[in-house]
Amino acid sequence: MQSAGLLERIQALVGTETSTVESLVEAGHVRRFVEAIEDPNPRWQQEAPPTFLVALAADLPQLPEVLEYGSAWLNAGDRFEYERPVRIGDRISSRTRLAEAFEKEGSTGRMLFLAFETEHRNQHGELVARVRGTRIRR
Amino acid sequence: MREGGELPVLVKHPTTNQLVRYAGAAGDFYQIHYDQDFARSVGLPGVILHGLLKAAFLAQLVTDWGGDGARLKSFEVSYRGLDFPGREFTCRGRVRRVDGSYVELELWSEDPDGKRTTVGAAVLELGGEAWRPNA
Repeated sequence: MQSAGLLERIQALVGTETSTVESLVEAGHVRRFVEAIEDPNPRWQQEAPPTFLVALAADLPQLPEVLEYGSAWLNAGDRFEYERPVRIGDRISSRTRLAEAFEKEGSTGRMLFLAFETEHRNQHGELVARVRGTRIRR
Repeated sequence: MREGGELPVLVKHPTTNQLVRYAGAAGDFYQIHYDQDFARSVGLPGVILHGLLKAAFLAQLVTDWGGDGARLKSFEVSYRGLDFPGREFTCRGRVRRVDGSYVELELWSEDPDGKRTTVGAAVLELGGEAWRPNA
């Protein structure tokens, strides 16, 4: 059973942001990622594959209240909006914020949905992509 | 290319070894993807594929088809069911709409029982007259 007011306390955190994480898009990292997803397209020797950005911003805002809800995470979905390609050698600045928090009744009881939005910019300050990931606590 | 036309099918063969490699490369070390006891302790039948690994598989379906001359504008996936290592993961797609140089695709994955475990969509911008899909 969830403690009273937990949902309200979590909803009060909407808007919380991580500090900006800066990452160099390294050839070795992209190669290991491409090997892991087993996508042999030679294009990924110069460019990062479409979902690579998630490997640069694995850090979600630290929200202890969220961990009081349920006992496990599940992934509900991900959405990527691309403005520019990410190339090896780019320096990407990523910032994630908690965009939304709501509860839903599932087949195994109540679940908490959290939507995280990450903005990725390159070394020129240009937006390269926005990523919205929806995660479930149950 | 026509509306309703299907993309060439991409079949992936995920293994526990691949899940560990993906965990390392993506920096996602949640134990439900490599620790059977932990996965069962949170009510799962066993370790499951990372949602974002399934997304990477569906993105490959799209970039294989579009080739270098197509730019991915948006890509989204919803995870509807669990997928397990040792079970084939089949990526499928079809052209939903063509609007000038933009193509909207409907995407989904099927498990070996034919269940749609992931559904999604993508929008591609095509690179001019010379563009042809890799069919």
